[in-house]
Amino acid sequence: MSATSHAHHDEAGQAPLVGSLGVDSRKLGLWAFIGSETLFFTALITTHLIFYARTKAQLMADGMLAHMDPKHFLGINLTSVLAAILLASSLTMVLALAASKSKEWAKFRFWLLATIILGSSFVLGQAYEFTHLYAEGLKLAPQYVFEGETVKSLFGVTFFTMTGFHGLHVTIGVIWLLAVYFKVQRFAASPENPMDVELVGLYWHFVDLVWVAIFTLIYLI
Amino acid sequence: MAEHATHDHHAEAHEAHSTRFYWMVGAVLAVITTIEVAIFLVKDAIGHELFLAILFLLSIAKGAGVVMFFMHLRGDARIFQFVFVVPLTFAVTLCLAFLTIFSHHVGIAG
Amino acid sequence: MAIAEQKLTSVSPATASSGSFPWRTWLATVDHKKIGIIYIVSAFVFFLLGGIEAMLMRVQLGAPNNTFLSADVYNQLFTMHATTMIFLMVMPMNVGIGNYVVPLMIGARDMAFPRLNAMSIWLFLGGGLLLYMSFLTGGAPNGGWFAYAPLTQVQYSPTSGMDYWILGLGLTGVASIAGALNFIVTVLNMRAPGMTLNRMPLFVWMNLVVSFIIIFAFPTFTVGSIELLFDRQFGGAFFNPAQGGDAMLWQHLFWFFGHPEVYILILPVMGMISEILPVFSRKPIFGYSFVAFSGVGIGFLGFIVWAHHMFGVGMGPMANAFFSAASMVIAIPTGVKIFNWIATMWAGDVRLTTAMLYANGFISMFIIGGISGITLASPPIDLQQTDSYYVVAHLHYVLFGGSILGLFAGAYYWFPKMTGRMLNERIGKIQFWVMMVSFNVTFFPMHIVGTEGMPRRIYTYEAGMGWDIWNFIETVGTFFLAFSVLIFVYNVLSSLRTGEIASNDPWDAATLEWAIPSPPPSYNFLHIPIVSSRRPLWDAKYPHAAGDGHHGAANAPASVRYEYTDEETPGAKEIHMPSITFSPMILSGGLTVAALGFVYINKDILGLPTRVAALGFVLIGIAMVAYAIWGWIVDSRKDSPYLGQHH
Repeated sequence: MSATSHAHHDEAGQAPLVGSLGVDSRKLGLWAFIGSETLFFTALITTHLIFYARTKAQLMADGMLAHMDPKHFLGINLTSVLAAILLASSLTMVLALAASKSKEWAKFRFWLLATIILGSSFVLGQAYEFTHLYAEGLKLAPQYVFEGETVKSLFGVTFFTMTGFHGLHVTIGVIWLLAVYFKVQRFAASPENPMDVELVGLYWHFVDLVWVAIFTLIYLI
Repeated sequence: MAEHATHDHHAEAHEAHSTRFYWMVGAVLAVITTIEVAIFLVKDAIGHELFLAILFLLSIAKGAGVVMFFMHLRGDARIFQFVFVVPLTFAVTLCLAFLTIFSHHVGIAG
Repeated sequence: MAIAEQKLTSVSPATASSGSFPWRTWLATVDHKKIGIIYIVSAFVFFLLGGIEAMLMRVQLGAPNNTFLSADVYNQLFTMHATTMIFLMVMPMNVGIGNYVVPLMIGARDMAFPRLNAMSIWLFLGGGLLLYMSFLTGGAPNGGWFAYAPLTQVQYSPTSGMDYWILGLGLTGVASIAGALNFIVTVLNMRAPGMTLNRMPLFVWMNLVVSFIIIFAFPTFTVGSIELLFDRQFGGAFFNPAQGGDAMLWQHLFWFFGHPEVYILILPVMGMISEILPVFSRKPIFGYSFVAFSGVGIGFLGFIVWAHHMFGVGMGPMANAFFSAASMVIAIPTGVKIFNWIATMWAGDVRLTTAMLYANGFISMFIIGGISGITLASPPIDLQQTDSYYVVAHLHYVLFGGSILGLFAGAYYWFPKMTGRMLNERIGKIQFWVMMVSFNVTFFPMHIVGTEGMPRRIYTYEAGMGWDIWNFIETVGTFFLAFSVLIFVYNVLSSLRTGEIASNDPWDAATLEWAIPSPPPSYNFLHIPIVSSRRPLWDAKYPHAAGDGHHGAANAPASVRYEYTDEETPGAKEIHMPSITFSPMILSGGLTVAALGFVYINKDILGLPTRVAALGFVLIGIAMVAYAIWGWIVDSRKDSPYLGQHH
């Protein structure tokens, strides 16, 4: 029961008495949750940055940085495609929302399905990247093996923890998108549908935002 | 009592953007991403500091675009901006503070 | 239009006496009042458990070179004592009282998300169950409630105790975050018409601030715990220096959460005091805005002082200086509150009820705890005091002398509203004095013995250090403290049966919860009140009393009156309250089962394939969660025709 309040008027029917912010309760709750999740991912990203700086310093002291930088594992090609996929899915998401607000249900289904497919592609692409990295020698372990040489570093641990939790959030998002898709299909006349779509959309855009941060801080820097 | 689920609230100014607008924002985001990748490919030529600065600005622009327009934070009720921006500020502070504390700079961090 | 309370003409029993206990109503409830009571009762049970842990420790420490407990058992006890008191007692007690009272104070029918509310209580109980299960499955967590690395790595803490700690507190953490989201939306979005933020009761203000602190502070602890779990179970080495990790990272991550956590423990209680003092001084709170904003200030500043728990680890002069300065600054808004409380009572018509005695006990004991905190905020002084009993004294003066005395004040104040009976005042006053004296006998000497060099977290000590007599006195004090708690239990049990029946407003109070019956009907208010001042009930009762209560036009519309309604009153049945449902409980149960699986996900115990069983638990737990979410969505569709209904 998400109670939204409506304005009460005093007995003379004059200006509404303020008693609440008058916003949708679930939307406010979700934004606050997004705020909380921002700190969650920041802590994970910060941990990664701290240990990457250490690995770099250690490799630089050994004169091995150029050769053994763990960034060599991370292919810019695949990750750029993944970034593009997620950004595109944000676009399709907001188009789906617009369609649901203007009650163009065929369009809505198209754009939401597109979002689901793009999101699933991201998850599959990420899973592929993980298996590829494992095969190459970067694992969730306190060392990595690059071209036969072992380097003691927490890069793999922090990388997989951070991107793994992001991938988990994307997966949950895809499930949520599917749920909304089927719900709107089943209960097409429900007046809550635009808000249901907006809520999953907000979560989805946030997941994309985290990837923007990870892409820059982890892959590019 | 009758349903009021989609009642228009005085606090929520919800001007809907046209779909053309969303396509344009999407295009801008795509362009920015392309520039980021391009800059990455030539990063050795432009120096580390400039590379970092450009990347940060570009990704902030991308993030702002997603938040302001796709998530509709611009033009929405102020409370939503508050509950997003405040933790974001805390988050950036946490990150910078931790990076400083763990930087091993003599005098600042042990 | 002054209102007066009706004289009670009939006795309505506080609880229905129709044969069997209404299990379904309570286990599937989404009513904030029932959920509040479950929180309160559970937290009190954990209070007793934590107290027993403390008493066992004090018996061991009562004499030097004692052999009552082994070192390992002692480590488990001090870990569980703190974990219990912080996460399973004070936090849920605050949330329970807040859950019950906040919707009433703002004139709402329930919290914004009643089902999420139910999920929080069952998840909290699941986490508590997991934590205490560890005693039976190889040993409770024994690394301290702060779980410093690398002691918590699996080679130094080989039992599953630390895994239970991580996962049990993970569950309670999710419960806390969900609860905080609930409070934020409820307070911001569901106040009665006319109740601007500037007219909200201060208890509601503090709950709002604390809820924001929770959602901003907990994620860092969650991340730290996940990283520790990865260290222990999945081959990570975040905090293991031998493999390239950093033990200091744990400390910073933990205390970034851990310091705001102590403000989570104290601010709601400060809110309670801000409600109780005015009622029993028959004067409005002095400096409402200052008290409200200093709460916000404390909440904000609390995020930048965390490393004052780490002055002894060698962070360097710049870091030490910064955190020292910030920690001293935070004394300012705290002092503002204290002066405003004293000014509230000054020249007031003071009634020394038990609640008022406890409120004053809170102020005085918290001041002492605050003063010892100031010394601890200075790094050179702290280098002597840290890890000594001086810190144990400080933390107990602010957490027991502060939070717990304040919670007792709240108990005596709101017990009538929740149960329909008054607690016995004579027994209450005796109980108060026994507690106050024995509290000081137990904890004051710790300042002395700590300054004389007694370390903390040790299971025994040598004779002849000058500590013997003080430890003995502290142990004796502990038993009297326990006795005072028993007196309280007796007061509660006998008052529930034969206590004086409580009217709507036994204290002649100012806020909206006292306008409705004790205990309130399920829908709270038959007619949502309209508010035009900070003290709506007082202004309705005493419209000609002087004061700054009116914020708004002199004849601003207000509609506050005593209600004497129940479910049979005409109009009451048309109010639709959200239906009972088991989905929140099943969801919480699923998460608990999955968490238990994660404890053993990478261990083979006694040569058995426990890994497989653990994975099974995880999958069953996920299946339960999925099933519960399905049911939850079905329930929300059941209630959706009534969305937006107010009256």
